[in-house]
Amino acid sequence: MKQQAFIHFDLPWLPITGLIIFVVCFALYTYYTYKKSNKPFYEQAAQIPLDEPKKTTLFGGEVQ
Amino acid sequence: MSNTAIASNGRLETFSYDDRIVRWFVIATVIWGAVAMLLGVTIAFQLAEYRLNFGLPWTTFGRLRPLHTNAAIFAFCGNAIFAGIYYSSQRLLKARMFNDLLSQMHFWGWQLIIVLAAITLPLGMTTGKEYAELEWPLDILVTVVWVVFAVNFFGTMVKRRERHIYVALWFYIATIVTVAVLYIVNNLEIPVSATKSYSLYSGVQDALVQWWYGHNAVAFFLTTPFLGLMYYFIPKAANRPVYSYRLSIIHFWSLVFIYIWAGPHHLLYTSLPEWAQTLGMVFSVALWMPSWGGMINGLLTLRGVWDRVRTEPTLRFMATALTFYGMSTFEGPLLSIKSVNAIAHFTDWIPGHVHSGTIGWNYMITAGFLYFLVTKLWNAEIYSKKLANIQFWTATIGLVLYIVSMWVAGITQSLMWSAIDEAGRLVYPNFIETVVRIVPMYWVRAIGGTLVLFSFLVMMYNLYKTAKSGSIGREEVYEAYALDENSIEKGASPHRKLEGMPTLFSILSLIAILVGSAIEIIPSLISDKYVFRMEEVKPYTSLEVLGRDIYVREGCYLCHSQTIRPMPHEVLRYGKASEAAEFVYDYPFQWGSKRTGPDLARVGGKYSNLWHYRHFAKPQEVTQGSIMPRYPWLFDRKLDFDSLPKKFEVLRTLGVPYSDEEVASAIEDAKAQALQVTEDLAATGNVPLEMQNREVIALIAYIQRLGVDYGSLPEPEPEEEQVQEGE
Repeated sequence: MKQQAFIHFDLPWLPITGLIIFVVCFALYTYYTYKKSNKPFYEQAAQIPLDEPKKTTLFGGEVQ
Repeated sequence: MSNTAIASNGRLETFSYDDRIVRWFVIATVIWGAVAMLLGVTIAFQLAEYRLNFGLPWTTFGRLRPLHTNAAIFAFCGNAIFAGIYYSSQRLLKARMFNDLLSQMHFWGWQLIIVLAAITLPLGMTTGKEYAELEWPLDILVTVVWVVFAVNFFGTMVKRRERHIYVALWFYIATIVTVAVLYIVNNLEIPVSATKSYSLYSGVQDALVQWWYGHNAVAFFLTTPFLGLMYYFIPKAANRPVYSYRLSIIHFWSLVFIYIWAGPHHLLYTSLPEWAQTLGMVFSVALWMPSWGGMINGLLTLRGVWDRVRTEPTLRFMATALTFYGMSTFEGPLLSIKSVNAIAHFTDWIPGHVHSGTIGWNYMITAGFLYFLVTKLWNAEIYSKKLANIQFWTATIGLVLYIVSMWVAGITQSLMWSAIDEAGRLVYPNFIETVVRIVPMYWVRAIGGTLVLFSFLVMMYNLYKTAKSGSIGREEVYEAYALDENSIEKGASPHRKLEGMPTLFSILSLIAILVGSAIEIIPSLISDKYVFRMEEVKPYTSLEVLGRDIYVREGCYLCHSQTIRPMPHEVLRYGKASEAAEFVYDYPFQWGSKRTGPDLARVGGKYSNLWHYRHFAKPQEVTQGSIMPRYPWLFDRKLDFDSLPKKFEVLRTLGVPYSDEEVASAIEDAKAQALQVTEDLAATGNVPLEMQNREVIALIAYIQRLGVDYGSLPEPEPEEEQVQEGE
């Protein structure tokens, strides 16, 4: 009798579709991310938080 | 990567950062954090000693607990997120926030929401859905303020001077987009008055939508924005780039895609379809992968600077936060496995798990970046590293006390609830036996919480003294090249191009979360086709509707569940396992998530009206050792019969089959039933008939109805056996 109200509630295509989308996307972005030619670019990108813009004074002169 | 190198021919621009708004959010974070933790300690002591509820409506556990959770999530963590995002986004994008006025509207709008929540929740104005208790006017306000934030954030992206969108910003984008979707969908409701509404969904449908929201509020309010902050502040504080930027990309996409699927793990063994439960479990386990990927990435960023973790408060708190993040993201999937969930669900293990995340992860990482921000924003050195050290150890010890006491309490409860002797009877048939046994653990938890609160107050003092020793000074001016065609990398791979396109990136993030959401929400939205309405399950009477609203107002769902899982010990203790069809008229559902008291799904008719009457007045005189608060105001307050026609109209709009006659006679019917209940009380307990218009009468009528319709039906034959016989 458990969950009788849902006895006809069967949508297996739904999670399978989602799963396929996930696997395909995962494969694609993993491929792009770990492509050898991308390595230098991402090493540069990792530096962004440490890359401070140059300070100037209000009148355009550089701050010492 | 500086665009300076790429765009050497670009236009050099000067700009400044709006740090004033960051300072405001920092101050708000510290103030609301103290309030949230004080509330947490208060309700922890109330669970250990019921007298601390003080017999007042607005100081009782059921009303303060939503205030605590909302204050901790939206006030403390919310302001912390905004402080961190406003600070880091400007620097990562090399641009001032899009519009200072929008920033101020965002700040003051958010504080207004918090103040209004702090007023309305203790007054009992609640939707009765966990972590989404705010009533509809506040929901609208939250939505408006969130849109203001989104416009301000995306506007800043548009005028940025850094081509590449750093990974921290991806997490912020996912947060902004997903929280908007979650909040709006879960809070769809029809107003009855300015302070009362009914959820658009009922029963199983409401449960699924609510826990899709509830789980993902944890994911996209307490996890993704803080991960973004981690990816900015740890490299800044350690002065080294993140260990693996490529791993952070995998971390991001996997996390946003998988997290959204995992909501049904809150509803295992309920009347949710089996496949949806299994799906929720599988994806929860899969979450280990991205969660630990992020944690490892954060911790390995500290390679080479571990000596500074010992001496620098910012790094120390962040390293500890990541450790707790790893622990709680290990525990979460573990608890989602059905066999473990069977033990842990509804027990104190769950609050223990939740607090290892909120205190261990959110508080610790916030403490880390607050030390960083205050020193930068007020141009000062940390006032006292010794105080920061004291804060660290009191918080850690307090948290360990909290978690361990809740593990012990949770496992004790579970073992006692499920203990069955050789004759097939419950070893502890009286629920109160299991409550009394764990009260000592509630004291340990309250002490642990007090230590955490103390640590927070120490940090407040330390930050105040730090800020006071520094100075704000005038805004610094910076220069960077504007983005132009030259700054676009030629011949880049699609993902690299995507990383420079915020609009497309946001749309793809939205699609990622919508795929998982659709898997969860589509079955819920079309569940009307599958959840059959049983003839025997009737809509609530008008008096029961009034009683149910009182049940919701007093937050009874925070300690009592209303769903019986198909497990032998639950069926023995409470009665037949719950069915989806039983809840079709429950707007909102009230399954709850914790059993501090027993389940009430089939409590109707189990005790007399007089038992309930006395129980609401003085629970301890009816059940020795009970920790339930007293509800004296239910005996003084008069029932709001006049609200019934409107309530019936709204419920009918939502799909409850009330006839025109039932709507027209709602008030008279309620009064007649109230008189009936009161006459019974008068006959059995000399209760005066004047009580017939008091709130306690309606609440008794509602409680006595729970589970009666379906519960009175004979148990049908097991389907599997029928099939076998047929074969």
